[in-house]
Amino acid sequence: MEFFNSHVLSIMTFLPLMVAAAIFIVPDDKFARVAALGGSILTFFVSLHVWHYFNAGSAKIQFVESYVWMPEFGIRAIFGVDGISLLLVMLTTALTPLVILSLWNSHVSNLRYFFGALLALQTGMLGALVALDLVFFYVFWEVMLIPMYFIIGIWGGARRIYATTKFILYTVVGSLLMLAAAIVLYISYHRQTGIYSTSILDLYNASLDTTTQLWLFGCFALAFAIKVPMWPFHTWLPDAHVEAPTAGSVILAGVLLKMGTYGFLRFAIPMFPLAVKSFAPILVFLGVVGIIYGALTAWVQQDAKKLVAYSSVSHLGFVVVGSVSLLADGSLSVEALTGAIYQMINHGVSTGALFFLVGVIYERRHTRMLADFGGLASVMPWFSVMLIIATLGSVGLPGTGGFVGEFLILLGTYQSSPVAAVMSATGVLLGAIYMLTLCRKLLFGPVTHDENKKMKDLSPLEFSYLVPLALLVIIMGVFPDFFLAKSKASIEHLAKNYRSYSLAIDSH
Amino acid sequence: MIWLMILFPLLGAFINGLVLRKAPKSVSHAVAVGAMLASFACAAVTFAHLMGSGGEAKVIHGFPWISAGGFSAPFNLILDRLSGLMILIVTGIGSLIHIYAGGYMHEEKSTSRFFSYLNLFVFMMLLLVLGDNMLVMFVGWEGVGLCSYLLIGYWFQDDANAAAGMKAFIVNRIGDIGFLVAIFLTFKHFGTVSFSELREMVGSGTLDAIKLGAVGWITICLFIGACGKSAQLPLFVWLPDAMAGPTPVSALIHAATMVTAGIYMMTRVNFLYYLAPSTMTAVAVVGGLTAFFAATIALVQNDIKKVLAYSTVSQLGYMVMACGVGAFDAGVFHLLTHACFKALLFLGAGSVIVAMHHKQDMREMGGLSKYMPVTHAVFLVGVLAIIGFPGLAGFFSKDEILWKAFTGGGPALWIVGTVTAGMTAFYMVRLLCMTFYGPNRSDHHTREHLHETPVMMWAPLVVLALLSATVGYLGVPEVLGGHNIFHHYLDPVLMIPAQVSENWAFLTVHHEHALELGLMGASVGVMFLASGLAVALYAKGPAPVLATWANSFRRTYDVLTNKYYVDEFYDAWIVRPLHDMSEFLWAIFDVVLIDGIVNGVGQVCALAGGLASFRMTGSVHRHSMVLVLGLVVLLFILVV
Repeated sequence: MEFFNSHVLSIMTFLPLMVAAAIFIVPDDKFARVAALGGSILTFFVSLHVWHYFNAGSAKIQFVESYVWMPEFGIRAIFGVDGISLLLVMLTTALTPLVILSLWNSHVSNLRYFFGALLALQTGMLGALVALDLVFFYVFWEVMLIPMYFIIGIWGGARRIYATTKFILYTVVGSLLMLAAAIVLYISYHRQTGIYSTSILDLYNASLDTTTQLWLFGCFALAFAIKVPMWPFHTWLPDAHVEAPTAGSVILAGVLLKMGTYGFLRFAIPMFPLAVKSFAPILVFLGVVGIIYGALTAWVQQDAKKLVAYSSVSHLGFVVVGSVSLLADGSLSVEALTGAIYQMINHGVSTGALFFLVGVIYERRHTRMLADFGGLASVMPWFSVMLIIATLGSVGLPGTGGFVGEFLILLGTYQSSPVAAVMSATGVLLGAIYMLTLCRKLLFGPVTHDENKKMKDLSPLEFSYLVPLALLVIIMGVFPDFFLAKSKASIEHLAKNYRSYSLAIDSH
Repeated sequence: MIWLMILFPLLGAFINGLVLRKAPKSVSHAVAVGAMLASFACAAVTFAHLMGSGGEAKVIHGFPWISAGGFSAPFNLILDRLSGLMILIVTGIGSLIHIYAGGYMHEEKSTSRFFSYLNLFVFMMLLLVLGDNMLVMFVGWEGVGLCSYLLIGYWFQDDANAAAGMKAFIVNRIGDIGFLVAIFLTFKHFGTVSFSELREMVGSGTLDAIKLGAVGWITICLFIGACGKSAQLPLFVWLPDAMAGPTPVSALIHAATMVTAGIYMMTRVNFLYYLAPSTMTAVAVVGGLTAFFAATIALVQNDIKKVLAYSTVSQLGYMVMACGVGAFDAGVFHLLTHACFKALLFLGAGSVIVAMHHKQDMREMGGLSKYMPVTHAVFLVGVLAIIGFPGLAGFFSKDEILWKAFTGGGPALWIVGTVTAGMTAFYMVRLLCMTFYGPNRSDHHTREHLHETPVMMWAPLVVLALLSATVGYLGVPEVLGGHNIFHHYLDPVLMIPAQVSENWAFLTVHHEHALELGLMGASVGVMFLASGLAVALYAKGPAPVLATWANSFRRTYDVLTNKYYVDEFYDAWIVRPLHDMSEFLWAIFDVVLIDGIVNGVGQVCALAGGLASFRMTGSVHRHSMVLVLGLVVLLFILVV
């Protein structure tokens, strides 16, 4: 127990990878799915332990583990969570078992490798979230790409190779810039202090001149902007989603995209604070364009999955706007930042559910074109209930988590830039337009295709992964404080002190 | 008690929606009605307690809901005379309509989904009227919109219904953006969004110019929200389409309760509106125009529900106009009387529609008084109430509004209101005649099955008819020897801030009784004239001369029957251009331009890589190393 307590984050991070290794060794699909589900649920319980014992009042880094790795280069493995990463960790560990459930009865080839890839991906995601060392962060950041590359490239649709190559190249271009910037930062820090360190806790203290900060912020920001993806770097996303299998899409939209917005909050903003003032208007502008552009393009899609993919561009635009809404006194708006972080989770839940639901009808009919459906509410009532709940979360109806997130983002943004807030608020209207169009075309009207008359409603298995998400959509809207309480201190700390940011270690 | 009142309908919605999905109709109906009656009983007790303790406003603390930084919106409720009245209307009339709906939905296979939505609506409506801050109100505000969307599209197998539901939701959301911006502004300038705290702030001191300017914008933005929900120009287009829903829904949501939310909300923050004279002018003008235009459209409609729908828009215009001249009490009084007689009229129309096998065209009706004596009798009461027949509910409330429009808004506004009252009398009597009198014009098969509705349907109508006849006596004006109890009842809710009190002096100043009586006489005269005309033209079925008139005024007639082509205008100038632009953005900007650049860069790289690399290793690794090194060099040059 002593060992568990002092290594809880590394256990949580590497448990999935170890299960993945076991799955690669044992050539049995049945074993693979039991192990994958068991492993991911176990990981979830470990993360619950972290959640439960996380000290809500503190903005410090908690559950810190630090291991010397390459002392001559100052590279240490430092793991820790604070209120910024905690919710995303929980989202990752909660979503993965559901994704694995969705593949329980799957008949795809090489299923066990699919499970293995998903678990390896989970290690990458959790690692990127808990790593507080640039080298380790970078490694986990890139590690996430490899399983996703295979998930799309092997189990994807007809144009999967094009899509997955585009996904990788886009991301790698950004990552390389980030790597270059990281090296510059590393060397600059050494020149100043005479110490080699890749720990971001140290690097926060580097005092760089404004020009350098602008360049480095730009490089980091580009990497993150591609990942989010922000307009106009978003065109890899619809292709990747359309070709990815359902499970891949859920993880991609649910967690992977948030690595971009998380990156802004953990790295770009606190490490290069002098650049924030120059970049904030640009990022807000691109965010607002993304909100409107993503919504308008979503509206005209014929493919349900592409529609949901473009809706992500719109939703993540909100998150970006909320992350960088600069007040007159130079601090960030606490309200907007809270909203941004909450919205990342909401988007993971409701869009995850939407991708699952599109997967449900694709599995039955092998098409996702809206024109092939209509009137499903008569044949699949429970499916319709779930789709409508996910839609309400997505359009941010009050009473769902989406409302809390969007509202706080807009409220905070309004204090810094009323124009940006009102422009973003049109996204609330446009969101209703494209999501209700989706519902209408899938669910309502007469059943026009004979094939659709015999479609089966949700199976118990499908219920098992959709019901938790549907419940979360509502619970997160009614009791946001339950989720946000542990993040408050960290969010306020970042918003108010990002210009002289430091993360203390909670030593208890 | 107040929490129980809210929770009963939610519980009913849960039971019907999740547990009883396959239950027989009678069970789901019983559950829904039981939830409503329990809720009504709680409301009555709550109201009695409130008035027993002098009618003082009090805030009931719930749980902390949203808080971040300096913002907090706890889930608190406000119980005062205004929300006390509203909960009685919502649960009382709601109960009657729930009972009626059991009969109306008789032919459905299953009604659990229907009653689940209907109960959920009541829950949301209660949140709307009880929320102590703008955010809790907004939960109800959008929640009732959701239920409206689900219920308009209840018969979703017909795509037109689904389209109507969607239109309602989206047009409402345009208004909701106004509401949201108002919340942001309020928080920015007052640091709170709680109604009771705002009221205290405004009441306890003088506002500076910046705050006054903000109040101007806040009230405008809130009014945009009210225009969406209460179907005012230019956002009224969703309400007529909303008639696609089952008729009890039209009665409950689209006549008695939800659509009056805008008036309720403006009354809730009346102290802000009093501070913003320009906004008030805009409100009065929009209300008057809406009342007038909607009435002109109603003159020529042949669908019985469409007439009532435009009539609702028009009557809501009256209420908004009353708010605009500062007579919030008159607006709320009309809200109350309208809730009674319009629910009655819609339910009566629903009974007719059921008897007519779901035909709604009045040209195929006629002479129904013979077949449906009870429905006819109560309907007659409803018509007399709405046209302002002396002694019935509408007479008192409408006259109060017209009088305040004259003293606060001037003769022009009074004339608009009175002409509208004339048109109201005309189209309602026309509706009455075309439906109940003259020869029956339905086909043989329909006529054979014409019959009175079961008691479950007509009993609620009788109750509503009694209310429509009597509720007006709460507001008998002093000029007729009454005490206008209602005016005094709402007095503590209204607060004219001291710094603008002289602007609103006319509300309390004493006027010549002769003038008030004269105006009253004039409007009653107009009403009788218009009714007489309608009787002459329609009592024995539509008179032949009407067709010739329609022909000689073809253009005007077409404009009216086509509702001024507003829908067509919106479609051609807003919806389609937006859709075309979206197509362009996606098909050209995204796919051709951005992807073209991306793929082009890829190809150029491949080409360049091929030329540069003599050994053609194609190693991504090597290329990326070169790239990184190049970048590092570049950055160093810049940094050093």
